[in-house]
Amino acid sequence: MQQFKEPSAIDIKNAETAQSMWQIVLSQFLEHKMAVAGGLIILFFLTISLGADIISRVMGIDPNKQNLGARYEQPLTRIEFSQDQKEIEIENWIKANPSEASRVQKDLVEKQLVTVPEADALYDVISLPKLEALEKLKALKTVEAKSLEPIVQSFSSYHVFGTDEVGRDVFLRLIYGARVSIGVGILVAIASALMGLVIGAVAGYYGGFLDNALMRLTDALLSLPLIPVLIVVAAIDLQKVPFLNSLLPTGMESIFKMVIILCLFSWMGVARLVRGSILSLREREFVLAAKTLGAKDSTIILRHMFPNVIAPMLVSITLGVGESILFEAALSFLGLGIMPPTPSWGNMLNNAQEVIYKNIWLCILPGVMILLTVISFNFLGDGLQDAVDPKSIRR
Amino acid sequence: MLTYITRRLIQTLVVIAILSYVCFYIMTLMPGDPVEMMIASNPRITSADVARLRELYGLDQPSYVRYMNWVETVSKGDLGYSRTYKVPVTEIMGPRLWNTFVLSFWALLISIVISVPLGVYTALKPGGKLDYSLNLLSFAGISIPSFWLGILLIIIFAVTLGWFPASGTETIGFQPANFWEAMKDRAWYLFLPTISLSIQQIGRFVRFARSSMLEAMRNDYIRTAKAKGLTRNIIVWQHAFRNALIPLITVLALSLSTLFSGAILTETVFSYQGVGKLVYDSIMSNDFNVAMVSFIISVSMVLIMNLVADILYGFADPRIAYH
Repeated sequence: MQQFKEPSAIDIKNAETAQSMWQIVLSQFLEHKMAVAGGLIILFFLTISLGADIISRVMGIDPNKQNLGARYEQPLTRIEFSQDQKEIEIENWIKANPSEASRVQKDLVEKQLVTVPEADALYDVISLPKLEALEKLKALKTVEAKSLEPIVQSFSSYHVFGTDEVGRDVFLRLIYGARVSIGVGILVAIASALMGLVIGAVAGYYGGFLDNALMRLTDALLSLPLIPVLIVVAAIDLQKVPFLNSLLPTGMESIFKMVIILCLFSWMGVARLVRGSILSLREREFVLAAKTLGAKDSTIILRHMFPNVIAPMLVSITLGVGESILFEAALSFLGLGIMPPTPSWGNMLNNAQEVIYKNIWLCILPGVMILLTVISFNFLGDGLQDAVDPKSIRR
Repeated sequence: MLTYITRRLIQTLVVIAILSYVCFYIMTLMPGDPVEMMIASNPRITSADVARLRELYGLDQPSYVRYMNWVETVSKGDLGYSRTYKVPVTEIMGPRLWNTFVLSFWALLISIVISVPLGVYTALKPGGKLDYSLNLLSFAGISIPSFWLGILLIIIFAVTLGWFPASGTETIGFQPANFWEAMKDRAWYLFLPTISLSIQQIGRFVRFARSSMLEAMRNDYIRTAKAKGLTRNIIVWQHAFRNALIPLITVLALSLSTLFSGAILTETVFSYQGVGKLVYDSIMSNDFNVAMVSFIISVSMVLIMNLVADILYGFADPRIAYH
């Protein structure tokens, strides 16, 4: 029971002035502390995943760079390349860019930064500690030297969360994974809500046979156990589907496939919700008025009915994001979702059962991220639901 | 009532029929049909051989013809032969289905036994500390990825503490002296998967139990019962709880399909030899016959259970009229 507080002058003034719907929703929402916390966590994750490239550049680590010499490193370790590894890297670079290499080597000798002949100049520089080597390269002030910097940068790296089974940085992969996992989740939730909106609106507004057929389909899909069905569908080789293979953007096939598949099986909730509210809206006077004025069906649905279903739809989109992230993670964990090397939180756990014995953090961190994100979306949805539901408004 | 049951039965059968065809068609879209695998294992195969093999297996025909052929052989009781296990599919299915049934049964039982009293209790004291923390926990239960929960349990109870085995169904090569020892061995392996599967359900059930109990407590007859001076126990358990049970039954019935979905992931994480793992393994290894049969049978079972639950619902609540 809440204690009764004497209302202040501001409270009274607020209560006397009329509030717009969204003001009420906002103040209701802010009362739900967990929802606000969830929203903040989501904002934080979104910012981080959008800034993934910047973070990667600042840290000087390439998320896809493998280093088989430093697999399964524990969190908070610094990894130094051995002299051999450094020389191999430099040799590869020289081979790949012979003209730049000779230019840098010449400059190094000319400016007397090294005391060895030109051919050995680069090898001499990289044998120094990382910072000194970088300083010498910076002193050259040439484009060529600058292009070498990232390579020297990678010779010594600090890994906050350690490294994975092929020596990639776990922290950065989690960040890039956030981009994929949350991205897929949001995309699926919005796309499937739109699908549900159209299907539900058509079924609810026109009724009759169309309604019957669409709702049978919805019921049938809702009754299916989703994971086995998703496993079967996700195992499809999209290249074999007749007309889809030309549409697929290369490199992102598995993400694209995931979005399509998850959408196909998650529109039913919204469709039912929209159909239900349209069925009741159809009988209301303002729709009759619009009809009498000669409005088209599409105008009535779009202009007069949709504003009434937006609020509950927002809730189910938010809850849908969490659910889609969970499904994506499960499928990727089974090896049927997002394909490596693209990181997603699910596929980072792909071989967790074996990795447990090597580096426990590899199995814990991605799961913590999924749990945090999904619980945030669920709380956010819960808060929104309370906020937009006129029955729960407490004043 | 009878017309309702027949109509629902027909609907379910239609869904199963369509699903089996869709599944069959999807299997043809999967990478690697039997002939492609033969090509991969035999580099000297000629294109004439490939064509002959395709004709032999009927792979050159359109999918619906192949589907009809498949239905024909299955309806004769011939479920085909497993490519990976080298035994008839019928021999694998039986024990696998039983294993999954045991796992799901215990998980469901445990989650009901834990969550219903908790839900009822929090509904009686809404806004309390326990209510608040249980709400938080049930949100966590809903949001936790089920496979990761399994991994966590393995880390805690199998790797760190070493109390339970990390994976498997029974000790390999173990010769139980009597029935009890065999049971003990099975229970030993069953423990972690069951806990993992029930935790996911508990979160959902507590919330439903709480909300349906809250709804029931708001009814007028509760006020009447209180006014009559009945004891609190009688009001809660005889008047409110019995009415709260009705929506709860539907939720439990609907949870069968989430239970089976969860079972697939749990079985895969714990390498528990259930039908869910069979579906997954056979699809991953292109074991076509096993994949088709295990998928169709398990999904049909879920659908039929749903149907049974729907019908039972009518007996639980006589106010419901079936059309």
